[in-house]
Amino acid sequence: MDAKKGKEVRDGFMYTDKHEWVKPDKDLKTALCGITDFAQNSLGDIVFVELSSSILDSSIKKSDVIAVVESAKAASDVYSPVSGQVLELNTVIEDTPDTVNKSPYDDGWFVKIELSASDELKKLMTPDQYREFLASGG
Amino acid sequence: MANKTSLYDTHVRLGGRMVDFAGWELPVQYTSAIDEHMAVRTNAGLFDISHMGEFSVKGKGSAAFLAKLIPTSLSKLTDGKGMYSCICNKDGGIIDDLFIFRIADDDFYLVVNAGTREKDFKWFKSNLDSGVSLEDLSDITAKIDIQGPSSKNILEKVFPRAGLDSLERFHFTYSDFMGRRVMISNTGYTGEAGYELFINPQECVKLWDILLEKGKPESLIPCGLAARDSLRLEACYSLYGHELNEQVNPVEASLSWIVNSDEKYIASDILVNAKKEGAARKIVCLEIRDKGIPREGYRVEYEGSDIGHVTSGGYSPVMKKGIAMALVKSGTVKTGSDADIIIRDKKVGATVVKRPFYSYHG
Repeated sequence: MDAKKGKEVRDGFMYTDKHEWVKPDKDLKTALCGITDFAQNSLGDIVFVELSSSILDSSIKKSDVIAVVESAKAASDVYSPVSGQVLELNTVIEDTPDTVNKSPYDDGWFVKIELSASDELKKLMTPDQYREFLASGG
Repeated sequence: MANKTSLYDTHVRLGGRMVDFAGWELPVQYTSAIDEHMAVRTNAGLFDISHMGEFSVKGKGSAAFLAKLIPTSLSKLTDGKGMYSCICNKDGGIIDDLFIFRIADDDFYLVVNAGTREKDFKWFKSNLDSGVSLEDLSDITAKIDIQGPSSKNILEKVFPRAGLDSLERFHFTYSDFMGRRVMISNTGYTGEAGYELFINPQECVKLWDILLEKGKPESLIPCGLAARDSLRLEACYSLYGHELNEQVNPVEASLSWIVNSDEKYIASDILVNAKKEGAARKIVCLEIRDKGIPREGYRVEYEGSDIGHVTSGGYSPVMKKGIAMALVKSGTVKTGSDADIIIRDKKVGATVVKRPFYSYHG
């Protein structure tokens, strides 16, 4: 078995203890959000993604549900790691849900958000902190 | 503390993701539930089913004792053959579903569910007739299922003298592995050709390793509970605690075909009548038309009215869509009807289709 499976942590991203990631742009105005390699690996084969269509162009708060992800075995909610205006939904992952398994940090992003409280980012984990979090059992 | 099967360390070594199932620590998957499902449909898969229970019923009067407890006629059962049946309480509710193998006319081998094993044993014991001996062999029995079109080829390499060529569906035979007797039945729970192997827990580990090794050319892989569940759902096999429970009788569970005994048995009046009059509820198969995954407990509506609930649901790797079995009011939907499944407060269109989703490929 591949020991690195489900362990990739990207630099330049911020992380939550619910295994979501945020990738802010340089000036911290907007950010892409998704779920981590650990999250996709734990869920197993993702067969269905439903992005909350009502959140597009509206303001959401940190921890609001942004999507439901169904794996072969169960349904799980995905929460927003930050607050802000939802600019874009990545409908690619609705059409091909396994994109989230194959490319959790690139093509498998969920939403693009205009950050309304960029100081929230300070409360998220850095890549090193998240690596440590995973090593301690997540 | 969950029980561990003799293969526990093997599962961990193979990267199995262990979960608690009916009090047993078993792998839900090794690499991918969908890949494991498709391996069984196209090549072969190996399952640890050691958690299930095995009882011996023997002695003069065994057949009469069993006939008293099951709605299925034992008359078609010959030595070396098995059949599917269930045991019901006095109201006809299903205590468990089980497989009955006839070793001889006064010697039977029963396979029951892990979660109901103790309840079943008490039930058999409380109805026991003199001269009949009942024994729980579960602790000294491990079970490996090999399922899929390549199963026979692989099994023949390990048991070249078992005579698998002449072993018909639902029949069983005995063979030898490292000096221990192995029972091999041509049965399974996947909708695919395959075998179930009953063996001593010590030799089970060795048998598992040898099967995996010999099965390599046929792409045999270990499979977890998730694949077992999606396979049986496609094949529309009932699962105790889902389609079946003590509040549902076999006619309602769409198992009328196992209600065919002419004998007097527990709840026979109720079940014979239910079969004649038709049940108030029935199990139907639903296929999601667009997107969405139905799950157990979701409500089912027809023309705006609630008609029942999903008993088992999930994603079908073969059909690449959401499928479900549902317990609904009789006289509402029929094959071809458009119903709705309520998924997270939203109506999702589903069509009633002919049972099963996936026909047995023998």
